[in-house]
Amino acid sequence: MSESARASVVGQRYLPRDRESFLDAQQRNRRATWRISFLCLIAAVVMGIPLALIITPLLYAVLLISADIINYFSPLPPDFWQLASEFARFGVVALNWLLQHKPADPQTLGIGAAVMLLPGVLLSVSLWLGVSLLFRRNGVGGALLALNAREPNQNQLKELQLVDVVQEMAIAAGVTPPRVMLIDSPGANAAAIGSSPADARVIVSRRLLDDLSRDELEGVLAHLLASIGNGDLRIAFRITAVFETCGLLVAIVNSPFGPRSRSVLWRILRYCFVRGEDSGAKEAAAVADLLARNVTLDSDDIDQFFDSAGKKRSRLRAIRNFIFSPIFFTNTAMKLSLWFFSSAVLGPSIALLWHTRQYLADAAAVQLTRNPDGLANALQKLNEEPGEVPGGDWASHLFIVSPKRSDHKVSGVADKCQQQVLAQAWAASQQETGTTTVQAAPADFRPVQGEFANTFRAALAGDTQARVRLRAAYQAVAAADPAFAAQMPNPDDFFGAREGDAVSIARLRGPRAAVMQRKTQAQDDQASSISSVSMLGFHPSVKRRLKRLTRMGAHVELAASKSKAWIVLLVLGVIFAPLFLLLIALFLLLIAIMTMASLAFLVVWLAVIHQVFMLLPHR
Amino acid sequence: MEVSPGLVALAVAVAALLWIIAAFNGLVALRNRVRNGWAEIDVQLKRRHDLIPNLVESVRGYMQHERSVFEAVTQARSQAIAAGGDVQQRSAAESVLTTALGQLFARVENYPQLRAVESVQLLQEQLTSTENRIAFARQFYNDEVTKYNTVQSTFPRSLFAGLLGFSPASMFTALDADRANVQVKV
Repeated sequence: MSESARASVVGQRYLPRDRESFLDAQQRNRRATWRISFLCLIAAVVMGIPLALIITPLLYAVLLISADIINYFSPLPPDFWQLASEFARFGVVALNWLLQHKPADPQTLGIGAAVMLLPGVLLSVSLWLGVSLLFRRNGVGGALLALNAREPNQNQLKELQLVDVVQEMAIAAGVTPPRVMLIDSPGANAAAIGSSPADARVIVSRRLLDDLSRDELEGVLAHLLASIGNGDLRIAFRITAVFETCGLLVAIVNSPFGPRSRSVLWRILRYCFVRGEDSGAKEAAAVADLLARNVTLDSDDIDQFFDSAGKKRSRLRAIRNFIFSPIFFTNTAMKLSLWFFSSAVLGPSIALLWHTRQYLADAAAVQLTRNPDGLANALQKLNEEPGEVPGGDWASHLFIVSPKRSDHKVSGVADKCQQQVLAQAWAASQQETGTTTVQAAPADFRPVQGEFANTFRAALAGDTQARVRLRAAYQAVAAADPAFAAQMPNPDDFFGAREGDAVSIARLRGPRAAVMQRKTQAQDDQASSISSVSMLGFHPSVKRRLKRLTRMGAHVELAASKSKAWIVLLVLGVIFAPLFLLLIALFLLLIAIMTMASLAFLVVWLAVIHQVFMLLPHR
Repeated sequence: MEVSPGLVALAVAVAALLWIIAAFNGLVALRNRVRNGWAEIDVQLKRRHDLIPNLVESVRGYMQHERSVFEAVTQARSQAIAAGGDVQQRSAAESVLTTALGQLFARVENYPQLRAVESVQLLQEQLTSTENRIAFARQFYNDEVTKYNTVQSTFPRSLFAGLLGFSPASMFTALDADRANVQVKV
């Protein structure tokens, strides 16, 4: 029943000394960007060391096997084998020092560390650069196709207004105006997409135009243009490339096992060399999506490969499994460490960086419009119904408010039209019972929600008048919109369930199960977005953004923070923090063991293969 | 190792020279932004001149009795165009045009059937947008002027900015005529 609490809280007010000018706010956020970039760098190093430890041996394995094969056909000079054993010795010294604390002189140790780490680091960095270059080529075309974006129609008042506002904001910012595209999605949202200011596009959903006033639209577009002007698109592009590289690494390691990973790799290869216009762009979007999806822990390929149940158990399979088993450990170690470090270390720091960029764009938007109220009201409106944008999951971090559904909503009340129906029904029910009701404008649903919650509680407690009123409201909804009423639970069922009527309970359960199913499905659909990779969301909470806007002079009513919730969270945190830390430690241990196992198996495996080659008669 | 005073002096002189070059280039960049801002205001004023004949044509048929308003708008427009490059005259003429347009829109409010016509709505939106653009262009210009003047007049750039030929730019202020015309007509 937090809805009613929200409706009655008194707005927090700011004293003049709490005020902050938009210029100061921008400067503060710029400084914060530097600090957090440094944090991201540290996170990348922390993530890179274990990854390099896993990748490097694999590289050496590939190198050695190919050397063996070449050696078989035309013998390599003995110097080469000398060099290889020298290299191996450095690695062994470093590992002995690490695992068994054998003393070693720093120079050998340094070279050993370089031998163990550098190739992996170089490979990752070059893959990252490659991925960036690859996806930069096609720009935003594929994304626009995926979103089904269209040009605005300038003969329509609202859409002309959009084009005009973009021009105005570009003038205010002193930049060349980006192109605007519209998407006809039911959710209200807007985003700036692209890989650089030069190919930036602003996409706006048609619904947003209908919901927001001109001032609010101005605020939203000022935010997007400021974000483009601040170079956020480049940052976002690099972030995406990081996650795509992680996915690519997983795909490469998986490729001996699974057809799915192979097909991803094949598609990337084909995409590198095929230069089509539209189809290429679409392919880029699809491939990027596949890569981003790869970082998550589920990969059926490898399970399918080793899971021999239900298939014919043949000797060939057994041999194959044996041959590939060291790579299985490598694969698992890599996936575990990628998943762990990207969701708990690198992801959150990147998300923090992105939060700062959003705050910065908000402050810059205030500078452009000199009207903090426009953006603040727009954020508030959009937050009530964060628009889901079909086909926009991959870029959810680029939208002005998080496109996911927020928990602020009353479940089942999906959109404005339905809210309006409910509000009217509620007003109509008042006449039947003669109770006083809140006079709410159709646009503002909150007072109705609060009153509804109170009446509902009273009705459940046994208040007959409240029950009559709920029934009247339900019938009014049924008269106005039968389809909507069918989705809604009948109030009589609640009263029946209260008295223990089994039929009513069953009738209540049905729709509820459907709602739960829809929810899990929605979660599944969002699994591919980048922001799901990180534990921390990529969007700062709208409440915090509104707070900052209020400090810059916006007049919005902020809900006072609920101190009790904080206390509960704190207590829970104190109890669970040691457990959580233990869990993390265990996980790190698991990763370390996996890495060591993969290394050990790989060494044995390589030695065997090498010996086999040596035993073969040379030509 | 002994460092000769001559070498130190040379190093300092080179550093100072490099700094002056950087400061000079920075000032030139700012000056260009200021000029660009001024040009943008000009572009938007021109856009308004171009839109006016369309507007007048599309509403004239509905408002036969308002000949004086149309004449005021048309005359103000031609005077603004005739004013040319002189900033003072130009600003005065433009503010007269703003007033005339405001009166025209106030009259349009009296014709409900006209307000419902889509093409008129679109034109009105375009003119609103143009007014906004002029305002935002002024805002941008003034911001850039503030930056430029601050950089110029703060120590130590203030020592040589004048010598290198930089002079403070003037802000775009609302003219007296503009201020006098801020009356809300109900």
